[in-house]
Amino acid sequence: MSTLIIGLSLGMLLFLLASGLTLIFGMLGVINFAHGALYMLGAYIAFDIGRHTGSFVAGLIGATVLVAVAGALIERLALRPLYNRPHFYQLILTFGVILVISELVKIVWGLGYQESTMPEALAGTVELFGSTIPVYRLFVIGFGALVSGGLFLLIEKSTFGMLVRAASSDGEMVRLLGLPVSSVRMAVFALGSGLAGLAGAIAAPLFPIELGMATNTIIDCFIVVILGGLGNIRGAVAASLLIGLVRAIGYSYMPSWVDILTFALLIATLLTRPQGLFFRATRSA
Amino acid sequence: MNVSRFDLWLGLPLAAIALLLPFSGPSDFVLNLATLVMIWAIFAIGFDFVFGLLGMVSFGHASFLGLGGYALALATQLWVLPFSAGLGLAIVVGALCAWLFSFFALRVSGIFFALVTLALSQLLYILADSKLRAWTGGADGLPGVERPGLGGIDFFDSTHFYWYVVAVFALVMAAVAVLRRSPFGRVIAGIRQNETRAEQLGFDVHRYKQITFIVSGGISGLAGALLASLLMYVNPQMLHWTTSGDVIIMTLLGGAGTLWGPVVGVLAFEVLKEWLSGWTQYWYGVLGLVFILATLFFPKGIVGELQERFGQWQDKAARRDGRSS
Repeated sequence: MSTLIIGLSLGMLLFLLASGLTLIFGMLGVINFAHGALYMLGAYIAFDIGRHTGSFVAGLIGATVLVAVAGALIERLALRPLYNRPHFYQLILTFGVILVISELVKIVWGLGYQESTMPEALAGTVELFGSTIPVYRLFVIGFGALVSGGLFLLIEKSTFGMLVRAASSDGEMVRLLGLPVSSVRMAVFALGSGLAGLAGAIAAPLFPIELGMATNTIIDCFIVVILGGLGNIRGAVAASLLIGLVRAIGYSYMPSWVDILTFALLIATLLTRPQGLFFRATRSA
Repeated sequence: MNVSRFDLWLGLPLAAIALLLPFSGPSDFVLNLATLVMIWAIFAIGFDFVFGLLGMVSFGHASFLGLGGYALALATQLWVLPFSAGLGLAIVVGALCAWLFSFFALRVSGIFFALVTLALSQLLYILADSKLRAWTGGADGLPGVERPGLGGIDFFDSTHFYWYVVAVFALVMAAVAVLRRSPFGRVIAGIRQNETRAEQLGFDVHRYKQITFIVSGGISGLAGALLASLLMYVNPQMLHWTTSGDVIIMTLLGGAGTLWGPVVGVLAFEVLKEWLSGWTQYWYGVLGLVFILATLFFPKGIVGELQERFGQWQDKAARRDGRSS
């Protein structure tokens, strides 16, 4: 039972982490290599705000907003001039963005590890089905479910979502109708980046905060994205939970093989369904 | 426009610098830096086979480099083979690894190709870092990697090793120049321009891509062996995906798909790195910024831009002489 809870919380964290990446790809066709760096930035900002205000919620909000602003800047300055070039330019340019963000983090917070404190209210454990579960893990599961639900409503049901979907399927037409396509793109990029910052803030109390986050987590994101099918948010939810469970089971039976298991899953998918496990031919969020 | 004449114009001064450098009384530091630039240039040339000629972005080339390094280290240390056998093994291992990757990666195209090669190479990195520790020495790596042994020359001397790398580099450069102009190279260029058309003309596109990838892996493996030999050390960092990122940056800086682009790119990268790290410890970030600006404003890279200017200049000269170019 506790394995299941750990698996679900790992999966939800992965989803929070990868959702912004897959959203940005689905709507803009851009793979943002710097997504892991934005996640790292979110963790550092949340840690710093938490340290100074003592408020976990302030850290969450601050990290989300500030990283969203950073994302908007990246889109405006670095990516907008590239939309007419081959896609790989965006991929490679955002690799350069990783270097810049990592260096900024080094300048502000230094090279060492940082430890974020667990918020009081979520620090305890509860008895569930005969096993002891940390409250924070339950919080991560609930929060992840909330965010994924919110994303669906936003993209499938709201006017903004309709505009985004329209702009992604035929930007030229939407522009001719007099709607601000450039602003929509910037907003989507900011939203996706904000999600990365939020994931960083949520992860901050669980793991030591360090510079390696930028390059390590992006690999996890990509695994989720490849399994789920690029730009497919439902697929991302399913893939995240699948990987989370595989890892949780792996940790309890053969801890040193966990990463290799994840990659085995990935390679099996690539061989059998290169378009992703959860790919459907129809357009979906 | 006459591209081969341009390559000659650019290549001659570079070759002259390489040949005259040891006679200018350089320090060991400068010699080793020049050796490093040539080795990385071999790697970038290998990478550019897939990137510049085929137009596919691979984020897995660190694997071929790293495996080449390990192949040389293990061959000379564990099986006590001569250096040249180790070098040969490194080429074979790099090529084999590329061949294996191609089965997974060539099933997909575009951005997915980049992601799949990235994932595969990261798997190798994790294996080298943990499971294969008995072979790779884990995070500590393998120290004491051999230098070549030819007729009693001491290659632990920087100047001698420099000449050795110059010779290998010249061979690789010549081979690549020939390959690019060969029928094979023409087909690859055709596939890049229009895959469907190449397919319709009866070329086995998948096979051509696979062969290109394998050649690229072999050249990268060779570079890895030389790099391990220069540093006398190999560790998993060589396999890490950020190493692939570095070679992409270098190639784009210099100009992808041009003969001298990867070489000039590596030179620019390393010189910038030396110069920047002299006045700031945050040189890597500054380099990232330089790279971003270069990509935005000079997408063709240094050599690509020069080539364009050269072409215009030739056209102008031809018009002035009343000839049509």
